[in-house]
Amino acid sequence: MSTAMNFSTKTFKPRPPDKGAFPLDHFGECSAFKERFMECLRDSGYESSACRQSAMAYLECRMDRQTVLCKMLLFSCFQLRQLMANEPLEKLGFKDLIDEKSEAKPEK
Amino acid sequence: ILQGETALAFYKAKNPTDKPIIGISTYNVIPFEAGQYFNKIQCFCFEEQRLNPQEEVDMPVFFYIDPEFVEDPKMAKVDLITLSYTFFEAKEGQKLPLPGYQ
Repeated sequence: MSTAMNFSTKTFKPRPPDKGAFPLDHFGECSAFKERFMECLRDSGYESSACRQSAMAYLECRMDRQTVLCKMLLFSCFQLRQLMANEPLEKLGFKDLIDEKSEAKPEK
Repeated sequence: ILQGETALAFYKAKNPTDKPIIGISTYNVIPFEAGQYFNKIQCFCFEEQRLNPQEEVDMPVFFYIDPEFVEDPKMAKVDLITLSYTFFEAKEGQKLPLPGYQ
């Protein structure tokens, strides 16, 4: 679709998500984290930047699901699946928030 | 949302019928030209998802806007980008024209 005149602009291509699809949270295991995030958005006038901590907490919940349930239930974990593949949070755009956390720790 | 910063958004889907539905969704970005700057890290789209009878689920999208967005003069007047999803029933044997996914 691009012509010679558009050599400096990108052509639009629909793209699949980088890390694939989220499995559905059928049991609402992370709903509480989602509610906290939505509450933050409402309180901040829908300022996404103000709610990154809550967003990070939600994604951590998704990544943690398998580990927590296995420990709690003590039965075969084959049926359980993660709601999100484990990924270092720094790689998901939260590096600055992680750095802040580790800076705060030595003070405790 | 700031360009380059990752963000989370939620959609909600409900199956109001008394039968399970297998659905699949595709997305659209408005304005059209902003679509090239919209990067999905992870979402619920492009894969079949099953909704049980009367089930309502949250559907997250984790994304960011390419920082080059602010350098594109055509985007100078764009301060609102709308992302929409169409969730429809998957039919057996039907294949979505997926953009190289799977």
